[in-house]
Amino acid sequence: MSETTATIIFALVVLLGAVSAAAVLTWFERRLLGIWQDRYGPNRLGPLGIFQVLADMLKLLTKHDWVPPFSDRVVFVFAPTALVVAMMMGFAVVPFSETLYIIDIDIGLLFFLGMTSLAVYAVLLGGLASNNKYALLGGLRSAAQMVSYEVFMGLSLMGVVMLTGSFSLQAIVLAQVDGWYCFSQILGLYVFLIAGIAESHRLPFDLPEAEHELTAGFHTEYSGMKFAMFMLGEYLGLILISCMITTLFFGGWLGPDWLPGLFWFSLKTFFFICFFILLRAAIPRPRYDQLMSLGWKVLLPITLLNLVITGALALSLQGAS
Amino acid sequence: MLSAESTGNGTIVDDLFARFGAGLFVVQPTVDNTPTLWVAAGELLEVLSFLKPHYPMLYDLFGIDERQREHRSGLPAADFAVVYHLLSLKPVAEIRIKVSVIEPEGEVPTAIGIWPNANWYEREAWDMFGIRFSGHPNLRRILLPPTWEGHALRKEHPARATEMEPFSLSEERQEYEQEALRFRPEECGMETASADTEYMFLNLGPNHPSVHGVFRIALQLDGEVVVDAVPDIGYHHRGAEKMGERQTWHSYIPYTDRIDYLGGVMNNLAYLQAVETLAGIEVPPRAKVIRIMLAELFRISSHLVFYGTFAQDLGQMSPVFYMFADRERLFGIVEAITGARMHPAWFRIGGVWQDLPEGWDKMVREFIDFMPARLDDYDKMAMQNSILKQRCVGIGSYSAQEAIDWGITGPSLRATGVDFDLRRDRPYGGYDQFEFEVPTANNGDCYDRAVVRVEEIRQSLRIIRQCLDNMPEGLYKSEHKLTTPPPQEATLHDIETLIHHFLSVSWGPVMPAGEASSLIEATKGINSYHLVSDGGTTSYRTRIRTPSFPALQQIPLISRGLMIPDLIAILASIDFVMADVDR
Amino acid sequence: MTGSTTAELIPFIVYFGGVILLVLTMLGLSFVLGQRRTNKATNTPYESGVVAVGTSQIRLSVEFYLIAIIFVIFDLETVFIFAWAIAFFELGWQGYFAILVFIAMLGVALVYAWRCGTLEWGVKTRVGLEAKDN
Repeated sequence: MSETTATIIFALVVLLGAVSAAAVLTWFERRLLGIWQDRYGPNRLGPLGIFQVLADMLKLLTKHDWVPPFSDRVVFVFAPTALVVAMMMGFAVVPFSETLYIIDIDIGLLFFLGMTSLAVYAVLLGGLASNNKYALLGGLRSAAQMVSYEVFMGLSLMGVVMLTGSFSLQAIVLAQVDGWYCFSQILGLYVFLIAGIAESHRLPFDLPEAEHELTAGFHTEYSGMKFAMFMLGEYLGLILISCMITTLFFGGWLGPDWLPGLFWFSLKTFFFICFFILLRAAIPRPRYDQLMSLGWKVLLPITLLNLVITGALALSLQGAS
Repeated sequence: MLSAESTGNGTIVDDLFARFGAGLFVVQPTVDNTPTLWVAAGELLEVLSFLKPHYPMLYDLFGIDERQREHRSGLPAADFAVVYHLLSLKPVAEIRIKVSVIEPEGEVPTAIGIWPNANWYEREAWDMFGIRFSGHPNLRRILLPPTWEGHALRKEHPARATEMEPFSLSEERQEYEQEALRFRPEECGMETASADTEYMFLNLGPNHPSVHGVFRIALQLDGEVVVDAVPDIGYHHRGAEKMGERQTWHSYIPYTDRIDYLGGVMNNLAYLQAVETLAGIEVPPRAKVIRIMLAELFRISSHLVFYGTFAQDLGQMSPVFYMFADRERLFGIVEAITGARMHPAWFRIGGVWQDLPEGWDKMVREFIDFMPARLDDYDKMAMQNSILKQRCVGIGSYSAQEAIDWGITGPSLRATGVDFDLRRDRPYGGYDQFEFEVPTANNGDCYDRAVVRVEEIRQSLRIIRQCLDNMPEGLYKSEHKLTTPPPQEATLHDIETLIHHFLSVSWGPVMPAGEASSLIEATKGINSYHLVSDGGTTSYRTRIRTPSFPALQQIPLISRGLMIPDLIAILASIDFVMADVDR
Repeated sequence: MTGSTTAELIPFIVYFGGVILLVLTMLGLSFVLGQRRTNKATNTPYESGVVAVGTSQIRLSVEFYLIAIIFVIFDLETVFIFAWAIAFFELGWQGYFAILVFIAMLGVALVYAWRCGTLEWGVKTRVGLEAKDN
């Protein structure tokens, strides 16, 4: 039972940790972009401006908690809530180290995919419920884009599953003791990376939001805390995708013994978070149909090819040994 | 296409006389020597059609209220005049055709059938003067709100706030104004649904991140496909032309800075060239080179803003920050020289305000040595980026013929392959002393418009280097008596010159009566001020022809059938400034 | 590693409860702390600062439904691949060739959809002005 108690405590740590990390990430992203772009970013409040997070939080809390009378009120409130819940639940299956995880279920990977699918609906519903034209266009884009990338995202991970023989994330990490999947599953990694950005709808694939085209896209009518929850969901998604890349392709918490697994896991995840942030600074936004074409005409064939190659190679090598 | 045959300025008038008979025309002498002919409204379209092969571009069309004009002996009776300013690109030649309008029945036939860009210009003339154009399909207000009463550029319309009721905006009034702005698809003859879909009508702007100011495009959408687009301007209208009629020739200079607000002193140049033509001032060589250097610095500044926002509107976040940092350096130079940054208002009638400060050459040299490497970086970062190319290549293209038909000038014209730059083809203000290339491109799409502008930055750097290496010694303003303010040595000479200084500063200089305009190659295309002096301290009519105005009129032509992101790319690539459109 | 007992589920349930509580706290706090203000334009939808025309509740063009349909088809078919992937080594070469046929069929379907133009969302070209003026 004491083990269960410890896990419960850890679950609460994850809960608060994920939310705090996402909050700090809003500040960190702005600072990092600032360095990249020859400017400062928020640097006024507290050391290096870190209290900006608190100030933003206070401001958002005291904003008018407005639900548009012309919207579908229930869905309007439900959408950002669902996004945050789905993203938070995704962390439940992440193995932070050999012993630190909330739950290790057989279908951990499927659970993760399920949660990201829910996030798609949250964005879509938010757009449609707003009853605003920009939001509708954003909602339509999100439906098309995220729903398409759903397909490739799942498929791109099947190579990993084949080699491991399990959907359990802990098992996948342990299977990488002899070599990370980022080498043998390079095609899978490529597709998953792109699909991951598309799923978390961040620049360059932030088409549902696309500030320059749709002002704010699906969350045009959102303000105050409900807007903040969409933002929170986006940053949680960013962290979650980074965690999953680490887990699935870069050996998760595996690393030299002289430091705990949690450290290696955090380090790798942090690296990918930075990668995603800098990607945002560097790349223009493709057009909606170009993104869709990339998905269906390039990524889908690549994932299928990946399965075929992985299967043939794995079976031949197994036969040879 | 550019011009049928090389019909020189002297002979086209003869051709017209031979074709229509000299009795049909009244020739008006102008200070700038541009042939200016009055014709009767009945013959107007025939004359314009005859001229079109020689002058393929309707450069400008505007009205003049002639009712209070004193110096108009020898001209036909007119309450209003409509001026058709035509331009030939090769050889560079201009001609003005004027039509008299007598109230109350006077009408002018619309020229839309000859030049499609006459549409908005005629609407503007109607809006400002109440001149009716028969046959115009959509003669509505364009710059002023639909609720406006009167025609603002008529002489009887108040020019000052003190001549009107104090302004207030009650809630009812606000609602009334908002309602007047509602887009009504049926007024534009738009269907609300096709056989299998319903169209969505979306107001893109006036408050939208990508319309570069306050500009509205009412869109008819099928999904994301733009079925039709109706640009709506006037949200940035400040009545700059009306202000010209109450500011002295000298004190109007700061207003020009705010027309193309990214162009800074480039606007001063367009205005002052016309004023100096009226006054007959020859600017000393040093002043010319200083003016060119500053103007080219502002061309770079304006193009850097274009470049950055172009990338940004395509979703690339970083370049704009780097380019604004470069622009800060450039503003540092401008500030050291002029004391101001964006709107220096530094040129003066007859020269510039002050001589160059000590150490200016070091600053300028540092900047022009520093920039080329940065431009190379930006090339790799933005122009060679494959996603950016995919978004722009082949999008929003128009042909050279279309560009000329619609009055497009400057880099947007050169992007279609038309090798035309006033600085080289009809040098003004001393540009004949400089060596530079005129970059062109072939496809006239969004990408080419950017390519041409980027290359122009390099050419401007080249011109600035020549200014730096060959800055002449001598006066920085002319010794002409109309130079304002006059050189100080002249002022302190005797009481007569002191009084003269006093008068021209307090009342303003008196320009001889006459009409003149002077075309310059501004940052965004050809810009000019058509000035009518009635022999007073203020202009009788100030007409500002800006390059941004026709570019917006063309948006429906190039965006129909494309998608919203393409429309954004088009808006980003045509480099307009709403203050330049609305004036 | 495998097989979840009730004890292992408890942290998960606690975590889920925590997440729900967190979300409700956020919504509740902002409801309590948020200012209230009503201006004339507060309750109108945003459309770039001017009065809206028409509604956003419209019938959309068919291409959006096509995406939905191919998504459903492909997503369903990927489920079979999921099932094969998990038992990949057990099924061996036999399973491999079976799924190869299946993937080939999927590929044919993709090529078919591609050729039909279902995957073309953006080959949009300039229409020009025709005879219409504004």
